[in-house]
Amino acid sequence: MSNEGRRSFLQIASACIGGIIGLAAGIPLIGFAISPAWKKEESQWVDLGLVDRLKNSRFKKVNYTFTAKDGWVKATKKRSVYVTDVGNGEWDVFSRTCSHLGCLVRWNESQESFLCPCHGAVFDKNGAVVAGPPPEPLQKLDVKVEAGVLYVKET
Amino acid sequence: MKQFLHDRLPLDGMMAHLRKPLPKHINLLFSLGSLALFLLLLQAATGAFLAMSYSPSPDHAHNAVTYISEEMPFGSFVRGLHHWGASALVIIVFLHILRVVLYGSYKAPRELTWVVGVLLFLVTLGFGFTGYLLPWDEKAYWATVVGVEIAGTAPVLGEVVAKVLRGGAEVGAVTLSRFYALHTIWLPWLAFGLVGAHLFLVRYYGSSGLPKNTPEEMNTGKPFFPDQVFEDVVGMFILFVVLACAALFAEVPLEKVADPTNANYDPRPEWYFLFLFQLLKYFQGPFEIIGTFIIPTVGMLLLLFLPFLDRSERKVLWKRPIALTVTTVCVVAIVGLTILGATAPKLDSQEEVPPTEEVQQVTSPDTQTPDSEDEEDVFEFNLTEEEIDAAKEVGEEAQ
Repeated sequence: MSNEGRRSFLQIASACIGGIIGLAAGIPLIGFAISPAWKKEESQWVDLGLVDRLKNSRFKKVNYTFTAKDGWVKATKKRSVYVTDVGNGEWDVFSRTCSHLGCLVRWNESQESFLCPCHGAVFDKNGAVVAGPPPEPLQKLDVKVEAGVLYVKET
Repeated sequence: MKQFLHDRLPLDGMMAHLRKPLPKHINLLFSLGSLALFLLLLQAATGAFLAMSYSPSPDHAHNAVTYISEEMPFGSFVRGLHHWGASALVIIVFLHILRVVLYGSYKAPRELTWVVGVLLFLVTLGFGFTGYLLPWDEKAYWATVVGVEIAGTAPVLGEVVAKVLRGGAEVGAVTLSRFYALHTIWLPWLAFGLVGAHLFLVRYYGSSGLPKNTPEEMNTGKPFFPDQVFEDVVGMFILFVVLACAALFAEVPLEKVADPTNANYDPRPEWYFLFLFQLLKYFQGPFEIIGTFIIPTVGMLLLLFLPFLDRSERKVLWKRPIALTVTTVCVVAIVGLTILGATAPKLDSQEEVPPTEEVQQVTSPDTQTPDSEDEEDVFEFNLTEEEIDAAKEVGEEAQ
């Protein structure tokens, strides 16, 4: 083999070995970094309180806490929702998270609207967008009543 | 010692290179790059010392920052330098870019210098975005929630990017840890690599000088060292005095610890992201993505590839009407939106009644109760009844 051919082989071989090392290290590292993207979110039912105490509520603000894993931490998370007793054992529980960019909306009784302090979004009492940038209505959370306690589904 | 180094290092060659003359016509604006480098080094130095007393966890971050500010000797000063230095860095980098655009310094053969410079600008904004989560106060938390949600609106990979940034479904312990790593390891490595490349390219192609320099005048000005270096050092000194005064006399904000249920807080980003925050108000419903993704992305791509779009050799500003118009419109838009965002009315003076209370547990250790039933959850909003009714009509018509 000529010197030129030998050097050409060495160049290609060096590049191949470097590529193998890069892939062998890079794939796990990238997978490590982006793994939260495909991590399955767990849901749980969280109790909001006794139905008796929430009876006849109209957009009642309820703060609650629940325990969930946040990475390596078992964290106590805080949430806030608006609860309405719509009668016949039915409940409307609205998330306070604006469907635009995640700020917390506020219920305004006189205007019967949810208002977002960030970009001026306005939602009606059914959670539908009436003004501002949100592309989707306010999220209505899944609820159930068991043993006189109102539960909301948390993800 | 000098002889020892002289025998072992190519000092003569280095000094000859540093003494190379600059273009004949040059002005003070050509010190902006050096000032940006100085601020980046100052941020690295103050940040490294702040990191020695900081803990990136939601349980400790706010306390650590309070401890640095209130109990550590010079802690308030060091944090002040870092805080105000960040704002100064954004301003200086912005002015530096503006100078390069107005003098046409990005044109051939300096295209790569420009591209690396724009990447450095993005890294600077990245430092800002990842840095202000670290105190874990209300502003930190909510600005990050909104910022990551903006990333989440990008088509196809938006939600993936948002989850990767947060390290999960919501801003929490993992997010803080990730942002800390980005702020103190990833971005500094990236920044210093890019700074190295930028400096190499600047020295390799030399200063562009003012547009009025003739080719013969490009190497007939004062030497870079010590003449230009002296001017740069004076500029750095003045800048440092200003920052030191700000650190000593202006309070560095630290709000209450982040509370994900505090709806009485009006989230606002740092001033250098206010234009984007304000821009988002104008794109509604299905057009949301124009404000969150299309305009920022197209704007950044146009900035990045500017030298390849504007290939004319003309550098004098009044002979470049398109460049002048576009630059003016962009600067006016950014400054105008920033002012609008800063002066937009807030709701926090019109808090909910009653204010958010801690939950009480009555049915079981895990069961919550509503806030006081005796009081109505009502607060005032700054829109008038007519405005709300008009908005509802528009919404109903759209449906």
